[in-house]
Amino acid sequence: MSSSSLRKKSDLTLVSKVRYDLLRNLLANLQEVILGTKLAILFPAIPLAIVAQWFDFGRPWVFAFSLLGLTPLAERVSFLTEQLTYYTGPTVGGILNATCGNVTELIIAIFALSNNKIVLVKYSLLGSIISNLLLVLGTSLLCGGLANLRQEQKYDRRQADMNLLMLFLALLCYLLTLLFHYSGASASDSTDSSLQLSRAASIVMVIAYCAYLVFQLWTHRQLFEAEEEDDEEGGNDSEEAVIGFWSGFVWLAGMTVIIAVLSEYVVQTIEDASDSWGLSVSFLSIILLPIVGNAAEHAGAVIFAFKNKLDISLGVSLGSSTQISMFVVPLCVIVAWIMGIKMDLNFNLLETGSLALAIITTAFTLQDGTSHYMKGLVLLLCYIIIGACFFVQRTPSSKHNNM
Amino acid sequence: MAHHTMEEDLNIAPPPQAQNLTSSMVTKKWPFLVTKGRFQLLRNFRANLQKVIFGTKLAVLFPAVPLAVVADFYSLGRPWIFALSLLGLTPLAERVSFLTEQIAYYTGPTVGGLLNATCGNATEMIISLLALYQNKVNVVKFSLLGSILSNLLLVLGSSLLCGGLANLRKEQLYDRKQADVNSLLLLLGLLCHLLPLMFRYALAGEYASIATSTLQLSRASSIVMLIAYAAYIFFQLKTHRQIFDAQEEDESEDGEKAVIGFWSAFTWLVGMTLIISLLSEYIVATIEAASDSWGISISFISIILLPIVGNAAEHAGSIIFAFKNKLDISLGVAMGSATQISMFVVPLSVVVAWTMGIEMDLDFKLLETGCLALTIIVTAFTLQDGTSHYMKGLVLFLCYIIISACFFVQKTPLIDDA
Repeated sequence: MSSSSLRKKSDLTLVSKVRYDLLRNLLANLQEVILGTKLAILFPAIPLAIVAQWFDFGRPWVFAFSLLGLTPLAERVSFLTEQLTYYTGPTVGGILNATCGNVTELIIAIFALSNNKIVLVKYSLLGSIISNLLLVLGTSLLCGGLANLRQEQKYDRRQADMNLLMLFLALLCYLLTLLFHYSGASASDSTDSSLQLSRAASIVMVIAYCAYLVFQLWTHRQLFEAEEEDDEEGGNDSEEAVIGFWSGFVWLAGMTVIIAVLSEYVVQTIEDASDSWGLSVSFLSIILLPIVGNAAEHAGAVIFAFKNKLDISLGVSLGSSTQISMFVVPLCVIVAWIMGIKMDLNFNLLETGSLALAIITTAFTLQDGTSHYMKGLVLLLCYIIIGACFFVQRTPSSKHNNM
Repeated sequence: MAHHTMEEDLNIAPPPQAQNLTSSMVTKKWPFLVTKGRFQLLRNFRANLQKVIFGTKLAVLFPAVPLAVVADFYSLGRPWIFALSLLGLTPLAERVSFLTEQIAYYTGPTVGGLLNATCGNATEMIISLLALYQNKVNVVKFSLLGSILSNLLLVLGSSLLCGGLANLRKEQLYDRKQADVNSLLLLLGLLCHLLPLMFRYALAGEYASIATSTLQLSRASSIVMLIAYAAYIFFQLKTHRQIFDAQEEDESEDGEKAVIGFWSAFTWLVGMTLIISLLSEYIVATIEAASDSWGISISFISIILLPIVGNAAEHAGSIIFAFKNKLDISLGVAMGSATQISMFVVPLSVVVAWTMGIEMDLDFKLLETGCLALTIIVTAFTLQDGTSHYMKGLVLFLCYIIISACFFVQKTPLIDDA
């Protein structure tokens, strides 16, 4: 849904001039997939990143190019999963969307885990949750409010309630793990206990998320289908996919591979970029990376808010937060468990405090079912304050590798 | 006067209504004992016995009571005493609830409500007082905290879950004003717990005066909490009864009359309270031995196991009402009980400890207070819109599972002092 607003209609006049059928189809496909987005201008960053890595142009450059290259890729992945959904039907499509929607974060997290950079994993995922809750939601409500000053902006609060309830459950898990370290036990005992608790809590969270999918896609679909009927506007004239199933699948696999490559560059060069630019690693992980990973959803949410379709904006931002906090984070803990890496759910005091207040503020903001631009502005300013907090934080980066 | 009131109302159950009705849900009839026996007195006595002892499905657990006494007498092993006492408390708690319901028919709604408010959590109160007497302040704190958590998450969560699954196609509504008032009182209780806790961290420099200040603050807060609870009773029974009388009309079970006489019920109540005290004393005395023997931390036993036992009857009743889509009553049971413990039993324990010269304060330690804070916030948030579905119940239930896991893996040794 969100990517449709970033799409451009393919102009097939150039392609129709090509004589051979196969070539024509291939070029049409290529045009649809590669050039079918306004973000396509950032695509050249991908080969530039690979070139920079190959010829050692300087690791900060590799980092920057990889970041830029990830943006259109994330959007294209979203588009491709949408296309696949037309073939698989809403249920499987929903699950597919749920998994692929945050594929950038997931891949970055798994690479960071295999490089044993646990702190990077935690911070990037945490930053993604906070970014969705405050930045994406805040700018959507702000822009939507300013664009619809004379209209009443309403949304169905039950969907927001359910998402926020899941976020509270996640917050409980993170908070309890954090409190273990302050509860007065010896360091080794508390680490062991918090690890066990984290692993048990992760299993519970994954179960809860599966139940939430059942709830959302099956038993209580009516709560979540508020404005589905007018959703097929923007570039789509019909409900048909614009590319074939296997074509979409192949593109998806290919793009995921490229995302994996760029993510590996990002994970390996983040400390050097941090030293070179003078920004702390926590700031890069919590603020910059999520902005890149969420760029497509962000733009889509803002555009839907402009059209006064707040249910969809909320679905995008809150749904993404819930996915990451209740699915990606526990999945990382379980994957780390399998790999033998000791990752727990302890996000440290400052970060957990920011998350707690972000969730409480958002819950309070969304509880009455109406919106205006001040709500969006307050959420956005919360995000700026949290960003400033991590900007000025100067923890030395050498400690980060083995926390 | 009481009779006139009884004839007026269609249903007499005094507030908190829900707690009366839970015991009637687990009552069943055993008619066969009454038909034989020639003498009138004996027959009455047998009828009485049948209603009180056998009138519940939980009666199957009653043999645990003499077994616990035997185990203590012959020193059969302290963990056994603990387990048998736990099992024996379950039917006793339910019978006490039933007896107070019967007495409430005679005393009228107001006094009946107060009686219910006091006796409804009789098990928790007696355990707390006995633990205080043995100077096990941490057991007191943790069992009361666990009772609040259990009511808010386990009882409420499983009720909403079962009710939601049983009523998938219907819309489940409840009156949110009752839940709102309860949430508000719980937040007041939370404030009273948070401030002494933060004292410790804020005044880290001046070590000597912290304990005294915390104690003074706790005692003052306790008095305030008791005043707040008295005002809440007044609010609930006198000025704003209509908020709490939501679904009372369909509740008349067998008729509006009590099934046993007033003095009979009173005598039974006193007797059962004595037995509860005895079993509670066993529990408090043997809790460390059971903890060592079973390899579970004392905090887990106090916070998770004890409250499950103490709340078993309310729990069952709450689920049954949720099945019938009568969420107001389920909420009344769960949240009313949590409010009672938080705003009445806890401050009462502090005041009693004060008179006994024991230093009990409201500082429940960081991890436990954190659990409590998040529980209250999550529950308040869940109940604030007046509708329900099974996911809400599932999330609350999973919160309880995570909190149980947290205390299960916690290996800090419990220092048994004030």
